[in-house]
Amino acid sequence: MSKIDKIPKVKDIQRGVWNNETIAEIKYKAEVGKHRIRGCGTPRKFPNFDDLLILPAQLTRMPVDTYREDCKTQTVLGARYAKEPLVIETPVMISGMSYGALSKEAKTALAKATDIVGTSINNGEGGLLPEERDNSYKQVVQITPSRMGFSLRNIEAADAIEIIIGIGAKPGLSGHLMGCKISEEVAKFRQLPPGIDLHSHPRHGDIFGADDLCIKIEELRDITDNRIPIFLKIAAGRVWEDVKIAAKAGVDGIVIDGSEGGTGAAPVIAANNLGIPSLPALVQAVKSLEDMGVKDEMSVILSGGIKDGADLAKALALGADAVALGTGVMVAMGCVVCLKCHEGKCAFGIGTQDPELRKRLDIDLAAQRVANYIQAITIEATILAKAAGKSKLCNLEREDIRSLTLEACAMTGIPLVGTNFTFGDKFGFC
Amino acid sequence: MVRLDLTGMNSRNANKKLKVLIQTEDEIEVVGTHSIHNFATALIGKSKITAHGSTGFYTGGFLEGPTLVIEGNTGWYTGDNMMDGEIIVQMNTGSNAAPSMLGGTIVIKGNSGSRAGWGMKGGNLVVCGNVGRWSGKMTLGGRIIVLGEVGEGIGESMYNGIIHVLDPAVEEKLGGNVMIVPIDDKEKKETELIFKKYGIEQGVDDFMSIVPKVYGRHEYKLYKPTHKKVI
Repeated sequence: MSKIDKIPKVKDIQRGVWNNETIAEIKYKAEVGKHRIRGCGTPRKFPNFDDLLILPAQLTRMPVDTYREDCKTQTVLGARYAKEPLVIETPVMISGMSYGALSKEAKTALAKATDIVGTSINNGEGGLLPEERDNSYKQVVQITPSRMGFSLRNIEAADAIEIIIGIGAKPGLSGHLMGCKISEEVAKFRQLPPGIDLHSHPRHGDIFGADDLCIKIEELRDITDNRIPIFLKIAAGRVWEDVKIAAKAGVDGIVIDGSEGGTGAAPVIAANNLGIPSLPALVQAVKSLEDMGVKDEMSVILSGGIKDGADLAKALALGADAVALGTGVMVAMGCVVCLKCHEGKCAFGIGTQDPELRKRLDIDLAAQRVANYIQAITIEATILAKAAGKSKLCNLEREDIRSLTLEACAMTGIPLVGTNFTFGDKFGFC
Repeated sequence: MVRLDLTGMNSRNANKKLKVLIQTEDEIEVVGTHSIHNFATALIGKSKITAHGSTGFYTGGFLEGPTLVIEGNTGWYTGDNMMDGEIIVQMNTGSNAAPSMLGGTIVIKGNSGSRAGWGMKGGNLVVCGNVGRWSGKMTLGGRIIVLGEVGEGIGESMYNGIIHVLDPAVEEKLGGNVMIVPIDDKEKKETELIFKKYGIEQGVDDFMSIVPKVYGRHEYKLYKPTHKKVI
């Protein structure tokens, strides 16, 4: 063998966009002639809350004692018009995930977790499981375009309603639930034929446009006698305009779902390319409500990519009132974000309807782990808030944060670290 | 019988009054309807409510039990999410009648717009006139009966449920993932009973039924070239 043959080959070097993922995608399309469906949401890296830092209190203000003084976490949402707003013990909610995408055991565990830690769960698209409602501390009921498993009874059981217009993982597209997850039980619950690939409605049959939304919300107010909050969830896109329409339509709060949001199944091309990330979406939503003069009365809930107490604290500082977690709480139960939710063979009994796999999830253990996780990130946020001199989490404000990167600075209008520099009127909060 | 005048009243107040009246009154006559939206929302009971005039969007939404007679037209989304009871519209409705309806019966004596019975889950929707495009789209259950012409894409991607039609041109207007089969004896009998109950003079022998295809997957063509060569 010659000397040159002994030199290792450069087979692992990837040439620009022609990386392993691109090659795999092309080979898939060449084989089947159509787009690929995948679970979990986009693996792309977006600018996120790690690009912000929190300023500690020093001489300009005093910190609050981390271990001996309190920082209040109780959160009130939807008090704009609702007589009984949603009161939860932490600004960390569990976001809408359907029975179907998740197993009954996983939904039950999540519901139990809310009762341990004092927060809310959201039923998602596939109807409201009795096991979920019976175990949840506060129940948010989604009104989805498909209305699968939905009736007047669901509204009566709700502590809050969420009208879903879109989700961050596949905005503009409908719910996808692959046939492998539509078991006899799920099919009966949703009135579907077992085993069919479900491509749900992307639009509400009874909300064709913003004007009709106003009348629909009045209808829901009539049904609930203004008792419970009505939220509206949008995928982050034209956030500035969408939020204004929602506010004018009369909702109590807006849920902004960034493109980092998770899903049980979505076309890869949609997950990777539709919508904008949570960070700029939140800024635009808050700024839009401030522009209308209704920020103080409207609740803002952010979902999509929130993973720890720092994300929570920074989101609150930017103007969110709460965050909603999906992927994070699944990971707490055992999920490893394998991107195979759509295959329905989740080894941890979470994203599956296989009776044998479902047995692997210990409901009470999973519930406790989710509760621990929510508690831990709430504590993390209070550590940061106290260090910034706050005795309430909701007192975190824009002045408490700085941008670590020029990109985040431009997106948020939060000054760059070490400067008071921002990019001017056309960006962020400036 | 009691009479309620809605003149100058908003829907919330109108429905509050109706909710009180249906507790004690068997028949309620409503006048001054001024095409009010959200008329008779989520009323629960057994009364007969007759509106002498047209009503607006979301008429009888979430209705559960009462009989609602509209002596005029109704707007879009008539009987949305209806649970039970009856809605009889003597004239026409706007589009998207009976969306996500769960139970009960809606009879439209005139025409309905597009997307009638969108996402229906149960109950009966009878349209004595014509319906627009995409009616019966993605139904999860229930029965739709159309005596007049149907629009394009009828029954698109139905999951469950059945549509009975007379339109001889239905085959060329059929949506995807559904098929036409002869109406069976059981459906004939049930349809006859519905017609008899609501005074609809129409035989049932000539109806065809649209039902979901029986294979396990829905098929969608997302690429529709005008030229294609098979190698």
